[in-house]
Amino acid sequence: MKKQLAYIIAFLFLAIHFNASAQVPLLNSYSAAVATVYLDFDGAEVDGTIWNENGKISAATSGLSPASITWIHRMISEHFNLFNLNITTDPAVYDRAPVHQRIRIIITPDGNWYGPATGVSAIGSFVWGDDTPAWVFMNPLSNNASFIAAAATHQIGHTLGLQHQSVYDSYGSMITELSGGESNIFSNQAPLMGIPFYKQASWKDGHPSTGAQRIQSDTAEIAGAPNNIGYRKTSEQVVSPESSVKIERHEPGTIELSSSGNYTYRIFDISGRLLTQGFLKPGYNEIHTNSSSTGIVVLQWTGESVSGSQKIIL
Amino acid sequence: MNTLKTILSCFCLLFSLLLSAQKKESPTDIPYSNKIEVSNQALESLFQSAENISIDMAPGFHLNGKIQNKSEHGSSVTSLLIKVESRPGGMLSISRYKDPKGNIVYAGHLLKLHDADGMMLVEKDQHYYLVETQQRFLVAE
Repeated sequence: MKKQLAYIIAFLFLAIHFNASAQVPLLNSYSAAVATVYLDFDGAEVDGTIWNENGKISAATSGLSPASITWIHRMISEHFNLFNLNITTDPAVYDRAPVHQRIRIIITPDGNWYGPATGVSAIGSFVWGDDTPAWVFMNPLSNNASFIAAAATHQIGHTLGLQHQSVYDSYGSMITELSGGESNIFSNQAPLMGIPFYKQASWKDGHPSTGAQRIQSDTAEIAGAPNNIGYRKTSEQVVSPESSVKIERHEPGTIELSSSGNYTYRIFDISGRLLTQGFLKPGYNEIHTNSSSTGIVVLQWTGESVSGSQKIIL
Repeated sequence: MNTLKTILSCFCLLFSLLLSAQKKESPTDIPYSNKIEVSNQALESLFQSAENISIDMAPGFHLNGKIQNKSEHGSSVTSLLIKVESRPGGMLSISRYKDPKGNIVYAGHLLKLHDADGMMLVEKDQHYYLVETQQRFLVAE
């Protein structure tokens, strides 16, 4: 009887173990890219890194459902779909990536070993080459999938060298290190490298926490040295023939276009600097850019399951 | 006339010296309070050390510590994690790798979690510096 009970318990333990490890769907946002961000949802043992002042860290599995993981992966991937970068949940893809172009983001319930925070990372660790991971702690985020995706994107930004987007007064004194989009209270926009949870968050050109006299262009920093990721080729964007954005007319300062659905859009210059962003509604749309923005710009648009981009000569 | 030439030459010399000095004074684009130049030999000796380390990294900067971890990442990167006894609780993480041109490159950080300040190893014009900066520029939440 005891032996049978032991077999049953062992079987249940194995079943739970396999179920837990089988729960992480293997997803890739852009398999063509070698530069890789690995979202690690299934727990980890971490040792021999700057996080290990007090010995080994055992990070518990996230416990998220495959549907939640898929949704979080998609949300994060959308923020990086401009770049030649693969967001993966597959550890084998991470292992194959170049050591100086990869980072592991451990998404785990508890960060007690560190203290009260929604996550932590070492700035620029994407290129360190020593597999130092970054962290997202789910409990302080109320296990909310939207918050987890925003926090993970923020931490990935740090590992790619980004500092916080901050707010300064006219004398250059810092008002707040983390911008929540206060510069325009009527706007629903906030920087991903500020507080990305309560408004529509995106990459920004702004003053970083390192000083009011500096400008941090998030997109240019991610794409450029030392990460050397670059941008995706526009022909490789996913474009559904039924869902599209068509340029009707353009001139310096104005772009008129027709949209087949509700999309977010961003316009960049060829160096990757964000010029403007917003929303497209179905039908006719008019986008106003700075009239001094001439030359080649890139329009990128993203919807629920499709995205696309195209070059426009202004 | 000769006096004028001498004065102008002196100005030029002074100006070029100032420029080169300024160049050396900014090994990083983040604000920092202090910098210490460390030699390649001192950095390399860390990787040749056994468990315990006692090395003069620079004049006035002696490193006492113990290697907690030594690991290889891929075929090109060797990393050390050193518990620094002269800075209680501090961890020096340092990596050595070859760049695409075959040059040996070092990168690293000296941190203690939740401390106000940390140090970053940076290379500028083939010189290595440990620069002291606010830790929030090195580790962020």
